[in-house]
Amino acid sequence: MATSSSYPPPPPYYRLYKDYLEDPKSAPEPPPPIHDATYPLFGATYTTDVVLPSLEDQGVRQLYPNGPNIDFKKVLQSLNRDLQLHILELADVLVERPSQYARRVEDISLIFKNLHHVLNSLRPHQARATLIHILECQIQRRKQAIEDIKRRREEAQRLLKESLQTLDGHQP
Amino acid sequence: MDIISQLQEQVNTIALLALNTFGTLQRDAPPVRLSPNYPEPTTKLSEETINIAEHPKAMSAALVEAAKKFDALVSALPLSGEEAQLKKIAELQAENEAVGLELEKQLKAAEQELKQVQELFHQAADNCLNLKKPY
Repeated sequence: MATSSSYPPPPPYYRLYKDYLEDPKSAPEPPPPIHDATYPLFGATYTTDVVLPSLEDQGVRQLYPNGPNIDFKKVLQSLNRDLQLHILELADVLVERPSQYARRVEDISLIFKNLHHVLNSLRPHQARATLIHILECQIQRRKQAIEDIKRRREEAQRLLKESLQTLDGHQP
Repeated sequence: MDIISQLQEQVNTIALLALNTFGTLQRDAPPVRLSPNYPEPTTKLSEETINIAEHPKAMSAALVEAAKKFDALVSALPLSGEEAQLKKIAELQAENEAVGLELEKQLKAAEQELKQVQELFHQAADNCLNLKKPY
């Protein structure tokens, strides 16, 4: 409707829910979640497939070997060493041949891009680790709750027995 | 902050330090003699020119410190394989299910007992009321 005015009015769907209190079925159902489709958002198209684009997709050369299982620690440490060496090289170039700085600066930015890409590809691993932690916490809380309930039930039984004995003791 | 964010911060810090190092040195460097045809450039000795010799040392020390911190953070990464994680998640889910069923059972039994005790309490209260003689 008014997609490009600076103060667009709210969408007019509220009129459909006029009789919702009397008859909940007269209003339309909420729209289903989008499955495998592209949707426009603030002028840009997005897909529902949220995955980290590989370096080749961004047009950046990948400096570390890409196998099925990447040894992240080794890759990060070797990239770090490469970075330090390149910074040293840049310092040298600036002293000896200052006009050739561009290539070195490009190399340094390439290393930085690779570093950030490796760190970004660690995030799914972190997500799984967070999930494991959440599950463990939940299991522990549930076990604690079971223990509490058991304890309370036993206490209640004990109290009932005691009161029964007291009552029996009072009977003539 | 989680360790991956710390690593990302550290990468940005290293970039910032490198930038500052080169920028400061290029800005503050005294003029240098380019060819024997030209005379030696006159450098007036002031406090700043004397201190400039210490800048590279301090800044390169900071850069190396930052790189060492990055390495320390990398070795502190708790990494494990993807299959190991997925297996652990499946195990934990199964255990969660079992524990959840047990909890439900206990809860039902406890609610049952609660209802019984409430019923008994009602009866006892009714009996008490009936036995009390009106004045």
